[in-house]
Amino acid sequence: MSLMKKLLDLDQRIIYALMFIALAFPILNPVVLPMDIQEYSRVSFEFADSIPAGSVVLIEGGLGAATYPQGGPGLEVQIVHLLGKGVKIVFFSIGTETAAWTVTAIDNALAAMPSGVAAEDGVNWVHLGYVPGGESGVAAFANDIRSVKSEDHYGTPIAQIPLLANINKASDFTAVFWWGGSEGSIPYGIRQIVTPFGVPMTGMCTTNEVPNYTPYINSGQLHGILGGVRGSAEYEYLMDMPGLALGQAMATNFGGLLWAFLVVLGNILYFIARKEEGDN
Amino acid sequence: MDSYLLGLIAGSFVSIGAYSVLIGDNPLSKFTEHLYMGILGGFIFATNWNYVRTNAVNPVLQGNFIYIIAILLSVMLFSRLKTEWLWLSRYPVALTVGAGLGLAIRTTVMSDFLGQITATILPLNSLDNILMVIGTVTSAAYFIFTAQTEGPYKYVNKTGRIFLLAAFGVTYGQTVSFRFELVIGRLVDMLRPEVANYTYLMLLLVALGLGYGYRTKKIKWYKGR
Repeated sequence: MSLMKKLLDLDQRIIYALMFIALAFPILNPVVLPMDIQEYSRVSFEFADSIPAGSVVLIEGGLGAATYPQGGPGLEVQIVHLLGKGVKIVFFSIGTETAAWTVTAIDNALAAMPSGVAAEDGVNWVHLGYVPGGESGVAAFANDIRSVKSEDHYGTPIAQIPLLANINKASDFTAVFWWGGSEGSIPYGIRQIVTPFGVPMTGMCTTNEVPNYTPYINSGQLHGILGGVRGSAEYEYLMDMPGLALGQAMATNFGGLLWAFLVVLGNILYFIARKEEGDN
Repeated sequence: MDSYLLGLIAGSFVSIGAYSVLIGDNPLSKFTEHLYMGILGGFIFATNWNYVRTNAVNPVLQGNFIYIIAILLSVMLFSRLKTEWLWLSRYPVALTVGAGLGLAIRTTVMSDFLGQITATILPLNSLDNILMVIGTVTSAAYFIFTAQTEGPYKYVNKTGRIFLLAAFGVTYGQTVSFRFELVIGRLVDMLRPEVANYTYLMLLLVALGLGYGYRTKKIKWYKGR
């Protein structure tokens, strides 16, 4: 069997092993390659940065166990960013698991909060937890929060939460930040909050979903988007708070380089093999 | 050993178990799958029950009897478990689907239809705008299956196909990147200095266990391609 034939018939487990090494190497030996800030990320960051102090914003925490490593670092930095500016935050999640991971993001952000920043539960932020029903649930939540939630994630009755005294529907928020992860739920926010209530929105999704949402950005329904680890890394970079996402973005670069090399090599070998078969 | 570190080590072990499916289906990967499904199922049930208790059962107990309708409809969903009563479950399903569709369609026309069309009507004063308009029109025209691909339409069809292939290429690339990010997210935790030695030990144990299983033919070796 020729070397070319062997390469074309390569067991995929060897490719998995190579990929594992390419992804693990930059984590064990951190390297930082030059990185440009993408336009979508910059727009999203500037949107967050333009929220005036004293405003109340809504954050949908849609990151789960699989997607938290990608979006979590960015969400944590955004919480620090917004609370640091004096913006108040109302969190909710449309998934059971994601509601729990939103608690992790809040806890990590509070631990990283610079001293002197007001970050009191119920006053500066509140986590309303899980809202079931998918898009219908979002619609009900947007129209009347008290119709779907009687207490926050920690069991405090809504009537006892000062931050929610004058908040009961989507139009009471200055902006929405939809950290949808891989939920595919960003259109819920656009359909049930942006369009009927006119509240501006930005968001975060996993890398694979970015192409799905670019039409919403082009139409102005979405103010930029943070895509995957890179989006989080760019938020960290723009906030001058380098963290986990920046290191992961470098590992993605190494994996991408190996993948591109394998795709090109596979195509070259395929065309050579086809030509040889044609000659014979 | 604190609970956080214990969680990281357990996560590392379970991840290795899940990734071992890449070598081939094996008892460890099966165990990991079942463990994951069991934990997730239990967690989702507990969280949803808590929501129902807080937002429906408690109000009924406090005299707000309107929520009985919601509880009744929820219970009717379980009638699927008995074939003779299956018809009962169709009412809550119809209500849920109807309400969901109604709410979605209410704004879909504005957000997903008119909004997108408006965004495509652009002044042709930059390369981006020209590409956007040509790409949208030709890609949409590609799906006119009733027209013969001849004459001027042949070129529209071919241009549309090029734009579609470019879009699929971008989506494929982004999907590959997303898969990397999933693995990297786990590797970051598995290779933390305080967890790395446990990860290496687990890798060794899995390799020895699977090696023994394949050698003694107690586990069927997946031959690959």
